[in-house]
Amino acid sequence: MENQEVLQKPRVEPGKSTLPQPGRPVPSRAYPGALIVVEGTDGSGKSTQLYLLKRWLEIGGYRLHFTEWNSSPLVKSATRRGKQRRLLTPTTFSLLHAADFADRCERQIMPLLQGDYLVLADRYIYTAFARDAARGCPARWLRNLYRFAPVPDITFYFRTPLDIAVHRILSGRPKLKYYEAGMDLGMSYDRAESFRLFQARILEEYDKMVDTDNFVVLDGTIPVNKLQKQMRDIVASKIDLKRFAPRIQEAE
Amino acid sequence: MPDQEKDKDKDRDRDKDRDKDRDREREKDKAPLVVAPESPVAAIPPPAIKSASEVEEEASHYFFGEPLVGFDPAEITGTLVVIEGMDGSGRSTQITLLQEWLESEGFAVQTSGLRRSNLVGSDIDQLLAKNAVTRLTLALMYATDFFDQVEHRILPALRSGTVVLADRFIFTLIARGVVRGINRDYMTGLYAMALRPHLTFWLNVRPETAFGREFKKSQAISYWEAGRDMSLSHDLYWSFIRYQTMIKREFEVMAKRHSFIELDGEASVANVNKQLRQRIGEQLGIRATKYTPSSALAHLWR
Repeated sequence: MENQEVLQKPRVEPGKSTLPQPGRPVPSRAYPGALIVVEGTDGSGKSTQLYLLKRWLEIGGYRLHFTEWNSSPLVKSATRRGKQRRLLTPTTFSLLHAADFADRCERQIMPLLQGDYLVLADRYIYTAFARDAARGCPARWLRNLYRFAPVPDITFYFRTPLDIAVHRILSGRPKLKYYEAGMDLGMSYDRAESFRLFQARILEEYDKMVDTDNFVVLDGTIPVNKLQKQMRDIVASKIDLKRFAPRIQEAE
Repeated sequence: MPDQEKDKDKDRDRDKDRDKDRDREREKDKAPLVVAPESPVAAIPPPAIKSASEVEEEASHYFFGEPLVGFDPAEITGTLVVIEGMDGSGRSTQITLLQEWLESEGFAVQTSGLRRSNLVGSDIDQLLAKNAVTRLTLALMYATDFFDQVEHRILPALRSGTVVLADRFIFTLIARGVVRGINRDYMTGLYAMALRPHLTFWLNVRPETAFGREFKKSQAISYWEAGRDMSLSHDLYWSFIRYQTMIKREFEVMAKRHSFIELDGEASVANVNKQLRQRIGEQLGIRATKYTPSSALAHLWR
């Protein structure tokens, strides 16, 4: 029955709008856990930083769970089939990822938040908002689609200039995948060029959410260790970490 | 950074547009949604909305809310006919007969139904068989299945002037989600980009009758048909009755809102079929709607 609460929770002002209240924290939190999310374009450095944050918390002995975008085995076969045969359209691409996320949300994220865990998510619903909007899905429809998702306690947005981010990806990955490069949008026959144009659109969508969704913006171009220091300071100041480490009072 | 300034301006404009959209949506919410059963063109909303771009206005006769990505309304030349009704209401029998009748009248027919998409149809079958799926995930998988069929089966057919006979549509999917406690606004929002049918028939039967028919069909009642996941009753019969009654209540709500053409599903196959042919005949401009099934389908004509 907890699920029912989650689904109804975003209905803060019923009757007013079908939209959730973007970025507004859930008024009476239905769970004791905390949710930290990283977002940003490909190559923005977010995964590296979340990994380091996770290591810091793990070494400190905190109760945590790490979750990635697109990792549920449930719909993996469908996603793979859709991608291989290029069956996916902007709408079905979006829905399939939403189904995948719903599964993770209902079976991992929500139970863990209820169970007083610190949940770290590499990409969250904002990835869908940015990427699917870049594909042309209506923003209002997308917002509704994901409104069952709990609002994060902190959303780190790693903002990295397009050229740097694209260079990081293209230099490390010899071949971009079809959907990854946004080839389905038909912007360019050249995969690298298509990827660049697609990422530019995504970046634009992310930037729109900075204020509406309370993103904590971090500069993805500064040295890794300095950026990590900033991230840890923010986490320590915004979240009562002691709650998640019953035996160890100081982690570092 | 003058470029950034410009972008900000653009964003602001966009925000304004979004606010307008939102206001418009609220306006729409106030007025009950009326779907004209005759033709999608008749469903033009009152001309209060002037700020909307033409594309969106065009799209609103074709969808319940948002336009589908990459959709061009000018291309639609076919007719979408939906047959809804619970398990055992005679939907598939009627669709089989209608297809033969329409083909004999020279109309190309395409059918669609739940779990028939290439993308996730088989995956849903597996999820149902394993019974290890949460209701929200299942609802979203059904939505994926639905839109895959819209984009790869229904729209291409409608573009080529085909009559699409849909064995169930978003209404069943919405009802199933709502009775499982998923927010109604959420479910309707999910299907905002669904095509509005030209005609929506509801074959209404009592759950008791449906139970008998379904049982006769396969000598059993399936887990999902009986809504067993909802723990309504340990008794299969009562579980089925309670579940189908809940679904039926949701249909009654939607029937008014979306101008369903309600038919008595307990009448004879021939009688129901006659009423269907008359309404579809009007829609397609077929004057004489006399029909006797071929010998291959005669067994359906009870």
